[in-house]
Amino acid sequence: MNRKSNQKERRRGLTLFLSIVLVFCILGAVVHQVARRITREMSASAIQNLSESLDLIQCTIEAILHSEAEFQALIAQEIARVEDPEAYVRTYERNQTVSKMALILAGRAEGISNTGERFTEEGLDFSAGGTVNGMPVSQSYINHMGTWSYTIKCPVERDGRTIGTLYAEYVYDAVDRALPGGFYNKQASLYIMDAESRRFVLKPKGMGQRNAGHLNLADFYRANSIQDAAIQAEVEDCLEQGENILFYHDIRGRNALNYMWPVNGGTVFLVGYVPVEAIQQEGRAVNQNIFIVVAAMLIAFLLCVLFYYLSWRQQNKLHREQEEERRLHSQQLSEALRAAQIASESKTTFLSNMSHDIRTPMNAVLGFTTLLATDAENPAKVRAYTKKIVASGQHLLSLINDILDVSKIESGKVVLNLEEFALNDVVSSVEAIIQPMAKAKGQAFHLEVTGVRHEYLVGDETRINQILINLLSNAVKYTPEGGSIWLRIIGLKQRSSQYEHIRIEVEDNGYGMTPEYLEIIFDAFTRAENSTTNKVQGTGLGMAITKSIVELMGGTIKVSSEVNRGSLFQVDLELRVQEAQADRQFWEQRGISCVLLVDGDPESRENILALTEDTGIRLMAVSGSEEAAAWMGGGGDCQLALLDWESCGLPAALALRELLPENVPMVLLAELDGEGVEEALGRLSPAAVLTKPFFVSAFREKASELWAEPGEVLLPEAGAPADLRGLRFLAAEDNAINAEILAELLEIEGASCEIVENGRLALERFQRAAEGEFDAILMDVQMPVMNGHEASRAIRALERADAASIPIIAMTANAFAEDEKAALDAGMSAHVAKPLDMELLRRVIRQCTMKERS
Amino acid sequence: MHHEGTVIGGRGRRDRWRRAAAGLAALAVLALAACGKHEDPTNLLPREKKEERVVNLFSPMEKMDPEAENVARTASDLTVMMAEEQLGVTMVYRTYTAEDYQDKTYDDVTLDRVRSNMDDLYLLNPDTLMALGAEGALMDLSELESVQNLREIVLAANTVDGKLVAIPQEVVAYGLFVNKDLFDQYQLELPETPEEFLECCRVFKENGIETPVGANRWWLETFVFAQAYADLYNGGNVEAEIAALNSGEARYSDYMRPGFQFLQELIDRGYIDAEKALVSEAIEAEGPDFLAGKTPIVMAYWGAANTETAYGKTDFTMQVIGFPSSRGRMPVVSTTGFGIGARAEHREDALRALEVMTSDEALQLYAETNRVISPSKNVKVDCVPALQPLSDRIEEGVYVLGSNAGMRVEQWGNTCLIVRELLGGASVDECMAAFDELQAAALK
Repeated sequence: MNRKSNQKERRRGLTLFLSIVLVFCILGAVVHQVARRITREMSASAIQNLSESLDLIQCTIEAILHSEAEFQALIAQEIARVEDPEAYVRTYERNQTVSKMALILAGRAEGISNTGERFTEEGLDFSAGGTVNGMPVSQSYINHMGTWSYTIKCPVERDGRTIGTLYAEYVYDAVDRALPGGFYNKQASLYIMDAESRRFVLKPKGMGQRNAGHLNLADFYRANSIQDAAIQAEVEDCLEQGENILFYHDIRGRNALNYMWPVNGGTVFLVGYVPVEAIQQEGRAVNQNIFIVVAAMLIAFLLCVLFYYLSWRQQNKLHREQEEERRLHSQQLSEALRAAQIASESKTTFLSNMSHDIRTPMNAVLGFTTLLATDAENPAKVRAYTKKIVASGQHLLSLINDILDVSKIESGKVVLNLEEFALNDVVSSVEAIIQPMAKAKGQAFHLEVTGVRHEYLVGDETRINQILINLLSNAVKYTPEGGSIWLRIIGLKQRSSQYEHIRIEVEDNGYGMTPEYLEIIFDAFTRAENSTTNKVQGTGLGMAITKSIVELMGGTIKVSSEVNRGSLFQVDLELRVQEAQADRQFWEQRGISCVLLVDGDPESRENILALTEDTGIRLMAVSGSEEAAAWMGGGGDCQLALLDWESCGLPAALALRELLPENVPMVLLAELDGEGVEEALGRLSPAAVLTKPFFVSAFREKASELWAEPGEVLLPEAGAPADLRGLRFLAAEDNAINAEILAELLEIEGASCEIVENGRLALERFQRAAEGEFDAILMDVQMPVMNGHEASRAIRALERADAASIPIIAMTANAFAEDEKAALDAGMSAHVAKPLDMELLRRVIRQCTMKERS
Repeated sequence: MHHEGTVIGGRGRRDRWRRAAAGLAALAVLALAACGKHEDPTNLLPREKKEERVVNLFSPMEKMDPEAENVARTASDLTVMMAEEQLGVTMVYRTYTAEDYQDKTYDDVTLDRVRSNMDDLYLLNPDTLMALGAEGALMDLSELESVQNLREIVLAANTVDGKLVAIPQEVVAYGLFVNKDLFDQYQLELPETPEEFLECCRVFKENGIETPVGANRWWLETFVFAQAYADLYNGGNVEAEIAALNSGEARYSDYMRPGFQFLQELIDRGYIDAEKALVSEAIEAEGPDFLAGKTPIVMAYWGAANTETAYGKTDFTMQVIGFPSSRGRMPVVSTTGFGIGARAEHREDALRALEVMTSDEALQLYAETNRVISPSKNVKVDCVPALQPLSDRIEEGVYVLGSNAGMRVEQWGNTCLIVRELLGGASVDECMAAFDELQAAALK
C-alpha cells in the first residue's frame, strides 16, 4: 500500500521534472532561435555597416587622389603659361601634400626638381598602368623623406603641344591625415596596400594593433595564418579585377571579418580586418540582455519550483507527522484497550481464581459445619472439625485482607503511618515469623546486617514489616525443602546525613521465575502458576502490594531471577534517622564509656563500629584475645566486653574472662541457637547472650538487663490473657448472626452481653442504664439509623459520670489504620477488627477496663 | 455591537484594496512615464572637445609572429603606456622595416625622416645618432632629470659635440650565441682567442657542419670590434688612444686590420657563407638553422636570449659568450637610444614622454620585463642563465664599445658597411683603405 503510493509519488515527481525540463528546452530553443536571428540580422547589418565605412574611406582617398590630380593639372597649365617652366618648378616650395615636384622638358632625358637635384624617371615605375583622372600614377616607393609616396605625371601642354612632363610626388601621410582616428572602437585594423607590389604602404595611425604590423600581403597572410589556398586565390582574383572582397577568418584566435577594398580602380587597396565581436557588439549586447532576462526568468521559475517543492515537502512532513501522531495515538489506544482487556481478563481470571480460592475454604467451613452437625456428639471430632474450620476461616480472612489492601492501594487511600522505630524490632519480629516457617520446610534462613549506621529510624514499621514478610514468605513458599533463604540489610552510602539509605535483599535458591513472569510479577492479580493447578495458595496480590508500598515510601524494588536457580529481590529505601539523644543518655547514666569488642571478622567489626558511632561509647575493636590482652596490658579500661562467639569460640571467651575484672560483664554475640553458648554462659558470668545481628537497641536491652538492680524485675510482657468472667457488655450490632456469635462467644468467656440493633438504640440503652451497669460498650461502626461513630460521640457527650470513661470498643469489618484512627477520633477507646479474634478481644477489653479502673 | 464591528472590518478591507490599487496605478504611471520619456533635445556629443596631444614615435617594426608575444617590444610598450598615462598624450607608432636587402635600410629611412621632421621621437642606432647629432638634427637631452641616473659609459656613447642626443632603455651587449651541446659533442672548449675560434670551426666543418658560423649583413662587425679595440678599451689608456685617432696620429685601419683578416679567413675557409650573409637580415636568416642545431655559432644582442621570437627558447643548452680576442672573450657593447628631432612638431611632449620612459621607474620595469642591462646606475636585475658568462665579463668591466661618439669617425655604421664590402669580395687592404678615407674625411 505504502510502496504503491510511494511509486505513484515518484512517478508524479518524475512527470513534474520532465515537464520542467521540457519547458526549459522549449524556452531554450526559442531563445536560441531569437538569438540566432538577432545575430544574423546584426551580422548582416554589420557587414553593411563595414561596407559603408570602407566605401567612405575609399571615396575619401579617391577624392584626395582626384584633388591632387586636378591640382597637378592646374599647375601644369600654370607652368605652360610661364616663360621659364623649369625656374617655376625649381622655386615651387614643398608642402605637406606635394613633397617633390619635377619637370622634364620634352625631348630630354633629364629634368629638374624643386629639391635641387637633377631628375630622371629612373626609380619610378609607371608600368602597372594605374591612373588618376587619366594621369599615370607610379607604384609606391619610399621617398627621400623616408616615407611611402607615389608620383603622378602629367603632360605640360602649350598651344596643344606637349612641352614637357610634370612629376609631382605625394606622400601617403596626406591620406593618413584625412582618415579618422580609428574605427570599430579602434579594434579594426586597416592598411593601405599598393596593388602592384602588394606592399603595405600605410598603416593609418590608431588603426589596428600597435605592437606589430605587416610589411606586405604575404606577411599579412603568414602572420594571420590565412593559408587557405581557395581564399588566397579568390583574393588574388579580386585584386586582379579590382573588386571588393569580404571574408571571415580567425585573426589571433578571434573570428574576424577580413576585407580587401580597391581604391582608384584598384591601384591601391584597403586591407584589414575587424573582429566579429567588434562588429556585432550591439547584437551581442542584445543577446546578452536576452540571456540575462531569460536567465533571470529561469532562476525565478526555479525559485518558484523550489519554494513550491519546499512548501510541499513541509506540508508533506506535517502530514506525515500528523499521520504518525494519529498512528501513535491509535496504537496507544489499542494498547490501552489491550491493557484494559488484559486487566479485565486478569480480573476475570482473578475472580475465577478467587472464586476458587474463596470457595475452597468456604467449602471447608460449610463442609465441616455439616460434619459438626452430624458428629456433634463426638467431642474429639468436633474439636478437629472446628480447628479446621478456624484454619479455613483464617485463610479466607487473609484473602479478603489482601484484596482489600490492593483495592485501597489502587484507589490511593493508603496513608503511611510514620513513627519512630528500631530496625532491630523489625528484624527480630520478621525473624520470629519467618524462622519457624523456614524451619518447618527444612530451609536455612540467614540474616545479615552490614554497613547500617543508624538503626533508630522513622517510618511505617508495619508496612516495612509487611514488605519483608511478603518477600520472605514468598521466598519460603517458592523454595523447595532444604533450600536457603537470605535476608540482608545493607547500609548504602548516605545521600543525606539525615537519611539512612538501606537496601533490603531477599534471596533464595528456589524455583525462580521465567523472564516472562518477571515482567508481570508486580502486576496485580497475577500468580506464578494458576492457583487451580498449583499447590501453593495465595492471592497473587502480595507483590503488587509490596511494590505499591515501596513506591509509596519513595523507594525502589528490583527483582532478578532464573528458573531453578532462585530469585533476588532488592528494595532500596531511604528512612529518616532519629535523634539519638535518649541513647546517649542511657549509656551515660550507666557509666559505660568504653566497650571492648573482640571479633575475628573484620567486616563485622566495621559494622558494629558504624552502628555504635552515635552512642557516645568508645568501642575498642580487637581481632582476638591476644590483642585484647595487649590492649588491657597497655592500661586499657572498659566497662563491658562484647565477644563474637562464632569467630572467637569458647577458648577466647575464657581467656578474655581471665583478663577482665570480675565486675565487667561479657556479652556474647551469637547466632540464634548458637552452639554451646548457653553452656558457656555459666563459666563466663557475669555474661549474657545477644542474638545476631548486632543492633544497638538489642545491645542496650542486654546492658540494661546486666545493670539491673538485683531486686528489680522487668515488667513481664503485657497481654497475659485474662478472662472476661463477670463482665457485662452493651453491644451494638445490626447483623443478627454476628450478634449471636458475639453473644455466644462472650457467654463462653463467662461475660454477659446485651445486644441492640443500632447506634441510637445503644445510645438510648446506655442513657437508661445505671452507672456501672455495663463494663464496656462494643460498637459496630456501620449500622442503620445511627452509625457507631455518631453513637460514640453522642455517648461521650452525655452528661453522666461514666460517659467519658466507659470503654467503647469498635468492632468493625473496617479494619484499616484510618478506620482505627476514625474510631479513636470519634471518642472510642479501642478498635478490634472483624472477624473476631477472641484472644485479641480479650486483651483489648482487659486493657480498657484496667485503665478505666485505674 | 457585533453589527458595528462587521462594518468597520469591511471598511478596513476595502481600504486596503483601494490602497493596493492606487499603488499599482502609480507604478503603472511611472512605468509608462519611463517608457515614453522624450530624449533630451540637446547635443548628444560631449561638449568639451579634448585637445588630443600626440607624440609620433618612429621605430623599426617587428614582424609579427601570431604565436609569440614580442617581449622586447612589450617592455618598451610598457614604458610608452606609462608615459601616456602620466602625461595624457597619445604615442603614435610609426614603423619601418626593410623587406629585403634591396630596400632602404631602417637607418637610411630614419635619417631621411629626421631630416624631414616627419616624426617626434626616434629609436636610433648608434651610427645614425652620430650622424644626426653631428648635423644638429637632434635635441640636446642633457636637461632631462633622468640623465643623472645614467651610467658614464652610456653618456659617453651618446654624447656628440657635447650634446646628449639619445638615451637608451637598455645597454645592448653583443655576444656569440653558441650551442653548448654541439661543443660538448665534439669535446670543444668554448673559444677564448681567434685561433681557438678557428680551431673550433675547423672541427665542426670536418664533422660535416658546412657553415659553422651563422651570419647576417648586420652583425659580423662585432668580431672586428672585439679584436680591434680589446686593448684600446681595456688597456687603461682610452682617452689618449682616442685622442691619437682623432688627431690622425693613429690610424683606424691599423686597429681594424686583424679583425678584417680574421673575417677574411673565416670566409676563405668557408666558415661563413659570405654571399648569403650579404643579403641576410638579422636572425631571420641564420636563426632557424641555429635553433635547429645545424649551426653551432651565431652572433646576436643580449635581448635575443630573452626573446621567444629570437633565441629565448632553445631545445639545447645555449650559452652567450664574448667574441674571441687577444684578451679573451670580449662582449661588444652598443646602445640604441631614443632621440628627439630638433625641429619636431611635438618636441616638448616628446621630451616629457622620454623623461618618463627613461625614469628609473620605467627602466626598472623595462629591465625586469626583458632582463637586460639597464643604462641606469640604480637598476639591476638578474639575467637568464645563458647570459651569465657575458654578464660576468661586463660586470668585470671587460668589454669594447661598438660605437663611441668621442671618435671622430663613426664606428658602428661605417664598419658595418665596410664589412659588407668584404663580404662582397673586396680585399682586406681595400677595406683598410676605406677606413683611411673616412679618417681623412673626418680630419678635414
